[in-house]
Amino acid sequence: MADSEQQEDYKIQGFDADTQSLLKTALKEPGSVDLEKAASVIVDQSLRDATFSREAGRMCYTIIQAESKQTGRTVFRSTLLNRLQVEYKNRKETRARSLQEWVCYVGFMCNVFDYLRVNNMPMLALVNPVYDCLFDLVQPDNLKREEEVDCLVLQLHRVGEQLEKMNCQRMDELFSQLRDSFLLQGGLSSLTQLLLLEMIEYRAAGWRMTDAAQKYYYSEVSE
Amino acid sequence: MSHHWRTNTEEPRPHAPSRWSQGRKRRSDGKLRRYDDTESTVFDDKPSEEPSERPDSFTTPESHKPVARCKDWGSAVEEEEQMREKVGQDIARYKRKLLIHEFGGRERRSSSGSSDSKDSSTHGEMETDPAVLTRRQKQISYGKNTIAYDRYIKAVPRHLREPNVHPRTPNKFKKYSRRSWDQQIRLWRIALHQWDPPAEEDSDLQPFTEEDMICVETSSQDSLFTGTPTKVRKVEAEAELDLEPCGTEEDFVS
Repeated sequence: MADSEQQEDYKIQGFDADTQSLLKTALKEPGSVDLEKAASVIVDQSLRDATFSREAGRMCYTIIQAESKQTGRTVFRSTLLNRLQVEYKNRKETRARSLQEWVCYVGFMCNVFDYLRVNNMPMLALVNPVYDCLFDLVQPDNLKREEEVDCLVLQLHRVGEQLEKMNCQRMDELFSQLRDSFLLQGGLSSLTQLLLLEMIEYRAAGWRMTDAAQKYYYSEVSE
Repeated sequence: MSHHWRTNTEEPRPHAPSRWSQGRKRRSDGKLRRYDDTESTVFDDKPSEEPSERPDSFTTPESHKPVARCKDWGSAVEEEEQMREKVGQDIARYKRKLLIHEFGGRERRSSSGSSDSKDSSTHGEMETDPAVLTRRQKQISYGKNTIAYDRYIKAVPRHLREPNVHPRTPNKFKKYSRRSWDQQIRLWRIALHQWDPPAEEDSDLQPFTEEDMICVETSSQDSLFTGTPTKVRKVEAEAELDLEPCGTEEDFVS
């Protein structure tokens, strides 16, 4: 992939010029910039911008690879993960303050979980935190908000299968709650119910959409 | 040992019988650890990530609960990485060893520390799942980090050890069912207790007795195998059978 394309791919236009150049350098020569700053810039942006948060994991991955290859260090990764951990601890307050930020956080965390791997396996350290966030999303109160349901469904589409492999019991628990809510919790919007049902089917089909299900759930959705 | 490292979990776990804790938790240099010892090993921090109701016997944490997180994620992942690299190297080493034995025209192994007679492993198949290997290595490390183990390897040099008489470290590279593996570890750990140092008061150095073993068994079985009591009984019976030979070796206790 050509450089120009790649950068476009990383969607860093949203940043000011200085930050853009910081990130561009971080991607190519991580040794020559302040990676702690780069990490925190990326996290900050992820918490503000939902679209960015869903893609940022890939950029993080590239920087981590480059840093490890060129300098043999893991400054970026450590900073990123520790910052994620701080946000994780504050997640209740975040959610109370701003639903949007909370949803962005979950999206970003799952994206990082999806892209960053250790010896080609998901990072164990993130398995339970990711689960914790998903469990937050299936609380009855949270299911009343479509943003959160939407987020839940998106994350399960992306990382559900891996999560289940890492810890199947918790996935079972999560889906018990999901089923209970689908069946018993009154007052859910029909879109929410549709999404929950889709999730239940999706997992039941081995984390795949069958053609019929795809047609049922998405034929009405315009491109 | 449970109370040493369980500083930030809510429920105390069932206490292991005292004989299990005796002589445990030394530092890597072999000295006894203190409560506030700051020197830690890779294995030290892990137990705090266990779900709280597991016994601290041999099963490795496979938590399905939120866990206490005392460590920052950055270093946790760093450790994961090292652990996995180590496992990768181990696999390579083991494969090399198998190859060498093959070319040496000898029957595969008779004098180094792994068990393969009488075993239920699928023949020739190798365990390569890093998660499993890491878990098993941790169980082995817990066993080796005991005074009894040190006394044993000193008292009985490798070339004098006999199969079915002396405890032999289970071979983590072989394919075993989870239950079979846990049982092997359990038997190995029980057998190692013969080399426990003499206790101060009630000098119970004698090799373990029937009661001794039953006590150990029951304490760990309830949460280890919940829901399958009949199977457990069967496993226990096997355990006693398998252990029979070990009971006869007072002679080796120094």
